[in-house]
Amino acid sequence: MIKKYVHIFKITFEEYFAYRLNFFLWRFRSFVSFFALVIFWLAVYGPGENVFGYERSQMATYLIGVAFLRSLVLASRSFEISRHIRQGELSRYLLWPIGIKSFWFGRDLADKSINLVFAFFEIGLVMLTLKLNFYFPEKSIYYLIFFVLILLSILLYYFLSFSISILAFWTEDVWATRWLLGIIFLEFLSGAFFPLDILPSWASRIIYFTPFPYLVFFPLKVWLGQVTAADSIRVLFICFFWLVFFFVLSNYLWKKGFKKYGAYGG
Amino acid sequence: MVAYKAKKLYHVSSFLRFMDSVINVSNLRKTYQVSKTEPGFLGSIKSLVNRKFEEVKAVDGVSLKINEGELVGFIGPNGAGKTTTLKCLSGLLHYDTGFVSVLGFNPWERKDEFLKQIALVMGQKNQLWWDLPPIETFNLNKVIYEIPEKEYKNNLEELVTLLEVQDVINIQTRKLSLGQRMKCELIASLLHSPKVLFLDEPTIGLDVVSQKKLRDFIRAYNQKNKSTIILTSHYMDDVKELCKRIIIIDKGRLLFDGKLEEITARFADHKIISVVLAKDIDPKKLEKIGKVREYSFPKVVFFVKREVASMAASELLQHFPIADLNIEEVPIEDIIREVFTGKNLA
Repeated sequence: MIKKYVHIFKITFEEYFAYRLNFFLWRFRSFVSFFALVIFWLAVYGPGENVFGYERSQMATYLIGVAFLRSLVLASRSFEISRHIRQGELSRYLLWPIGIKSFWFGRDLADKSINLVFAFFEIGLVMLTLKLNFYFPEKSIYYLIFFVLILLSILLYYFLSFSISILAFWTEDVWATRWLLGIIFLEFLSGAFFPLDILPSWASRIIYFTPFPYLVFFPLKVWLGQVTAADSIRVLFICFFWLVFFFVLSNYLWKKGFKKYGAYGG
Repeated sequence: MVAYKAKKLYHVSSFLRFMDSVINVSNLRKTYQVSKTEPGFLGSIKSLVNRKFEEVKAVDGVSLKINEGELVGFIGPNGAGKTTTLKCLSGLLHYDTGFVSVLGFNPWERKDEFLKQIALVMGQKNQLWWDLPPIETFNLNKVIYEIPEKEYKNNLEELVTLLEVQDVINIQTRKLSLGQRMKCELIASLLHSPKVLFLDEPTIGLDVVSQKKLRDFIRAYNQKNKSTIILTSHYMDDVKELCKRIIIIDKGRLLFDGKLEEITARFADHKIISVVLAKDIDPKKLEKIGKVREYSFPKVVFFVKREVASMAASELLQHFPIADLNIEEVPIEDIIREVFTGKNLA
């Protein structure tokens, strides 16, 4: 069983290396946007200043954390499913004696790990050139909570992305949903542009009810030690709730949608 | 008590006999919902607000039974429902009503044990990884299908030698020619030695030599492995050479299911008499013999009723200056074309 995933992992890797230039350009793009974001935020800080409750090193840590979690949590290949559904390419995987969901999860993991390797270098480069300090939590409990939360958020993101992607069974154009999800919700509501608590508190409180801040914002808040023990339990709990929700939803949508699959082409 | 048991046994055995065939389809129906969009920008806007759906009956009550080891040709014009049927049989499509069993499984459940025993090869789709050499796909399939190392090695070597692709399996798939790619597609689908093989237009777009090679391979494979094969094709040659039994389908309905030779008897009540004239004569006189299909001196082609063919021939020989005469069956291609267009042959 494990062997299958190792192999899927391997073949996904090899695919990337077939298109090296493409991949390097993609990494370059994310590097530039990361660099720009850091420069922008640091420009806001005067000496010894505290902006929106974040010290300079905390903000730097937050932004570095975003770059890290983009690769670890948000990187995915599963969005391709919608194209596969529309163009009938899904058929090829349906014929395999292997679960579709596990297959795509394997591919997502490969994508995450290869991006992660590059992200490490880029982060290192930015930290060196801008002489940034990285904040490490003092209490070991924060590491534990962070680790558990990241595991949950990787799974949450996967089932969320899977559910959205298979909407392609119904809508012929997933581009709009993808854009909406990709830009508005993911980047903005997950806290990948800025920490969500700099928003007016009523707005951030509403956002906390959505699944998105549990992907990036809350894990980083835990890392920065800005979530109390009681709050972390609640955060874990809500994240887990959303995970179960999207797990059930994706199963339901798959069952319903697959009946509508046309296996077009050929 | 004994009677009851006997009766029960009878039921069981008849059920088993029913399940005996590898492929069992009864009254299969599948409708597609197709949304209609008017052309142009305004049309797209309109369809956003008020989308009109149209139902297209792709398969409309098809029943068939195929036994182990049979090689069946499935023919029909574009959109006849051939591919849709194959997709239902391999578990890709959910059918509306009917009963389908392949190897005793309901394909729709897509059980692993089922998927491991079938393969679907589509001439117009590729399952090879586009950016990687075919050998990578083979290796991946080995793991996915859990093929034992030894069996995999043997199968791979045999298939690669038979199809003569030793030199190409290490070249990136997208750089292969269509013929090479198709051969590799076949290999990828046969590595797990499927008991049931669905071939959907495997020879499409190939040159004559490659078509022949593929055909020879399919025949040999069927004979050697006793696998059950359904083959769809646009090329009558494929079907004529490979299949004893053919199934003709059009507009989702079964038109014919039987031996190839029977088609002629069933649909062609005419024979063709072609003669070479020694002298030019008034074509009107020839009309008495039968329907003249073609007249270009010195060649004349008649269509005559089967029963009177020999009479017509002797009449011709007696009353006309004939250099040569031939009585032939209507070519299968023509019969099938006529069947599809719904025209009468004469």
